Amino acid sequence: MPESPPSRTPPPAADSENVRLIRILEKRVEDRKRLTSELSEDLSSPSDIVRLKQLKETEPLQTAWDQWVNTRQLLEETDALLNDPDETMRALANEEHKQLSASLSSLVETTIPSLLIPSSTTANLSAMLELKSGVGGSESSLFLSDLLRMYLRLANVRRWQTTVVSQNENEGGGIKDAIVEVKGEGAYDALRWESGVHRVQRVPATEASGRVHTSTVAVIVLPLMEESDTTEELFSMDDVKVEVMRARGAGGQHVNRTESAVRLTHIPTGITVSMQDERSQHQNRRRAFTVLRSRLMDIKLTREIAERRATRQSLVRTADRSEKIRTYNFAQERVTDHRIGLTLKNLSSVLEGDGLQDFIYEIKKDHDESVLEDMLSTE
Amino acid sequence: MASKLLSALTAALGPRQAANELRWFQQHTTSTSDLAEMVQRRVAGEPLQYILGPSTLFLFILVLNSILGSQPFGPLNLLARPPVLIPRPETEHWVIKLAERIPASPESPKRLLDLGTGSGCIPLLLCHLLPQGSLRACGVDISERALRLATDNAELCSTPTEARAGHKNTFMATNGNILSPSFSADAKINPPYDIVTSNPPYIPWDEYLHLPRSVSAYEDPKALFGGPDVLSFYHAIASLVRKNGFLRPGAIIALEVGHKQAQDVEQIMRIEAHMHDVEIWSDPWGKHRTVVAHL
Repeated sequence: MPESPPSRTPPPAADSENVRLIRILEKRVEDRKRLTSELSEDLSSPSDIVRLKQLKETEPLQTAWDQWVNTRQLLEETDALLNDPDETMRALANEEHKQLSASLSSLVETTIPSLLIPSSTTANLSAMLELKSGVGGSESSLFLSDLLRMYLRLANVRRWQTTVVSQNENEGGGIKDAIVEVKGEGAYDALRWESGVHRVQRVPATEASGRVHTSTVAVIVLPLMEESDTTEELFSMDDVKVEVMRARGAGGQHVNRTESAVRLTHIPTGITVSMQDERSQHQNRRRAFTVLRSRLMDIKLTREIAERRATRQSLVRTADRSEKIRTYNFAQERVTDHRIGLTLKNLSSVLEGDGLQDFIYEIKKDHDESVLEDMLSTE
Repeated sequence: MASKLLSALTAALGPRQAANELRWFQQHTTSTSDLAEMVQRRVAGEPLQYILGPSTLFLFILVLNSILGSQPFGPLNLLARPPVLIPRPETEHWVIKLAERIPASPESPKRLLDLGTGSGCIPLLLCHLLPQGSLRACGVDISERALRLATDNAELCSTPTEARAGHKNTFMATNGNILSPSFSADAKINPPYDIVTSNPPYIPWDEYLHLPRSVSAYEDPKALFGGPDVLSFYHAIASLVRKNGFLRPGAIIALEVGHKQAQDVEQIMRIEAHMHDVEIWSDPWGKHRTVVAHL
């Protein structure tokens, strides 16, 4: 029986990005060793507690490193046996070699990167989801209500709490614009990549001739800040101008008309927030400040991303909100995300919320990879 | 159908206000006949707050003897019933500001008297905003219907009366006529007080005649009309608080005033009531709305 030549896997370390990854891991493990040596004899000093905590936190790194070293060693030993004169031995070695290579790849490509990527600073943030009709009149508003339903379904699956904070119906049907608070862990991290222009191609329900129309909806996702969230002040009250919307004449007892509309202007940035959905000034004011906080936090996060010096251009840029990010083609039953070039052939699954998760997963992965890339280029 | 209702409202209120109010009506009911009735009442001039009730949940909690209505006030959602004066946003604004100025501690609870309490909005909002156990409030009104509403609102806000205090702020409504010379003897009030608040009737007669229908046809004239001497209530309050032992040291008095009245009321508080440190607060519309005096 002819033998297939043993396939010698090129050592994973030949890949330069992986080399850097392993080097970083090695450095972290060395730091850990140093930390251990710094522990006092009887573990009595207060800084010991900090050190022990750090050691506990970095334990997975140590485990991964040990695994890598171990697997590499075994691979080397197996390599030697690939040319053994005994056929059975060679077969066994081949088998083992395959398994070990697979383990090593998995370590280097998946496990270690996930351990080294700094945990997201935004992981705990909830989201404020804003949808605005774009081009296309009533059809755009109708599509907006489809998207709104999609996001509410997703939130349901992910066990986030949703509150529709404001919603304006369109005369011809559908929803002109809406703001939804999505509360729950990971809500912002998942939804943030939905920001951008979503485009729909379909025959409108209102269209008699059966022609396909293109219309758009703009989605903006901002981090939702609880009043207690900010560790640092995002703004000072002195910088905010609060205006009420209508002149009230004599006001007070003279008038019982509900004048609850409020407009905030953040003078340094020029951001204005108008709120008139609630029947009380006080409630509109509170909501307006929540939106202001979200917008200011969004600016801060966007700036942080722009300041990162990623050598590889991330496919997902957050700066341009007017970019078309996704097209929903009803005639061909498919949805394409233009940033990562991914097309899903099950449009209804996307609109139900499940298919949407696939997009989110892929985009998040792309983002994480750019974060990793950035980390490698700075260490 | 909705567009017909919208145009009826627009004719009465103007486009932006009409759009907002129709939306609030629609949030309140899905029945088209109820919606049409609400719009009809509103177009006739009835205040929105008397038409829009609180959620059905509250219906099961309270027994009410007339039409249901509501008005959000700060974080509270108070009942509004004709003819009791509907809480105003100007009042909401200064009461919230006042809460920030009161040094409150459960160790030494402060006693508050609200004159002309109406719906009870002023003391109830303060009971909600100040730390629990730090406030004992009393609201006086001449109108039995106001007292009933204030009591219902207290129950809605879970604010107990003095007797069943526990560790919560308390509120009690009691009958009294501020203008009567025997007021402090007749009414069940117990000086000394740390805080005195009031939004007394302050509209002069000529202005009363020109009020919008939603005010003059539905809200109690006794809550609005200041009397032949439009500042009579402020004079009465001044003579009340200057009585020996009526106020505790460090007391604060906050009085809402009508437009163009702040200077005169400030003078009354300084000269007739012998108060020091008299400030004037503006409302969100830039009007001088509250006179705040310290003993």
